[in-house]
Amino acid sequence: MLKIDNLNKSYGTFRLDCSMEVLQGRVTGLVGQNGAGKSTTFKAVLGLIRPDGGRIEILGKDSSQFSAKEKQKLGVVLSNAGFSGYLTIKDIVPVMGSLYARFDKTFFLEQVRRFGLPDNQKIKEFSTGMKAKLKVLTAISHRARLLILDEPTAGLDVVARDELLELLRAFMEQDEDRGILVSSHISGDLETLCDDIYMLHNGKIILHEDTDVLLDDYAVLKVDEQQYRTIEKRYILRCRKESFGYSCLTNQKRFYMENYPKLAVLKGSIDEVIMMMIRGEAL
Amino acid sequence: MRGLLIKDLKLMRNMGNSLIIILLVAVGMSFYNSDMSFIVVYMAVIGTTFTSSTISYDEFDNGNAFLFSLPVSRKDYVLEKYLFALLMGGTGWLVGSIASIAAGAAKGSLNLAEGMMTALVLLPVAFCLSAFLLPLRLKFEGEKSRIVMIIVMGGFLLVAVMVAKLAKGLGIDLDTLGERIPEMSAGAGIAVALGIGIALLLISCQISIKIMEHKEF
Repeated sequence: MLKIDNLNKSYGTFRLDCSMEVLQGRVTGLVGQNGAGKSTTFKAVLGLIRPDGGRIEILGKDSSQFSAKEKQKLGVVLSNAGFSGYLTIKDIVPVMGSLYARFDKTFFLEQVRRFGLPDNQKIKEFSTGMKAKLKVLTAISHRARLLILDEPTAGLDVVARDELLELLRAFMEQDEDRGILVSSHISGDLETLCDDIYMLHNGKIILHEDTDVLLDDYAVLKVDEQQYRTIEKRYILRCRKESFGYSCLTNQKRFYMENYPKLAVLKGSIDEVIMMMIRGEAL
Repeated sequence: MRGLLIKDLKLMRNMGNSLIIILLVAVGMSFYNSDMSFIVVYMAVIGTTFTSSTISYDEFDNGNAFLFSLPVSRKDYVLEKYLFALLMGGTGWLVGSIASIAAGAAKGSLNLAEGMMTALVLLPVAFCLSAFLLPLRLKFEGEKSRIVMIIVMGGFLLVAVMVAKLAKGLGIDLDTLGERIPEMSAGAGIAVALGIGIALLLISCQISIKIMEHKEF
């Protein structure tokens, strides 16, 4: 659905060099710290910035050939931009109807009511959560094939986040020809929604793994100096010095559980993996 | 493009009160001011300024980034802005012309043919204003755009004053110039002026498309 090959973009000392892929029927997550290059990647995909090099293929077409009309097949949420705050939901409906041939007005208005969004109030007067809900609703209301969502759940409370994630799951279930690329700071969202996850750090992809593998096979070993010297280091991805000894990230949890039963093995969470991949050192 | 036009018309609603005040001022001026050209140009300028305001609304809060992630090309965006400027400037010109002609006729100071001729002479002026303003407005954002607006408007005024002074210096009375030109040649002159205005708009539109295509959001 989306293929990025060696996408390059430089801003001063920052350099993005990213390759990734979103496959049909899958939800792919992109995680990374602020300034890692997530938004730059999204903007390059959407043609908002000109890459210095590399190739982007969207729905089988080179991005330079991907016309404005074909953008009807995309649903987009940008973290820091949306419809003008001076418009109301009532204003947006005819705009969406004119821009998207497959805009589902009934579904959109149903969801607006469901989420309790005021349709006659200027968007700039909405709370952060209300704005986030509206952004997602506009992205999923025109039967897009590929959703590109930059921080769609930012600013939402737990309940609203769950409702939106449910909408995204329903979106995927309606048609197997769909796909989603999503970035989020909230690891819980990614764990429950994404099939695979890319980790971006300082403009480079440092990890790509299926979410199931990440949760089942990754773990953090807490070892003292003595244990550190003796354990097998072939399956250690990152290591970090701690007051008690070392934290070691592995992608072979079972190997250590079976061979070193006395080791403290902490189940991998996305947050832990991110922390270790960024702060730890490769051996 | 229709979607963008709807968006801009909806945004215009935010300027509703100022629109009513501007209309009242124009109607008032047309009764108390005998200078028809000032009122017509004033209305056309206001119309064009509204287009500039919609560009500001689009830029606000990084809105352009979202706008161009929708099925909207940079070219569509520019064409829509020119269409909107013509619509707004044209409406301003029409309202200004009708108000002036009606007021002139009521006071008996202006005949219909003369008024229509003046209004037509001023139409290319409205075109030229949009042609100069829009590329500059699209090129510069935020604080810079406000400075550009002031420079363009001020520049227009300055050119108008200089032309009037130059004409006076050369002993040409602009007020009676129209009366001295035979009707046929006046008509041809207006057609040429309109042609130049439209040509300028087309060139300006091409420049604006290039400006927008080079922008990053």
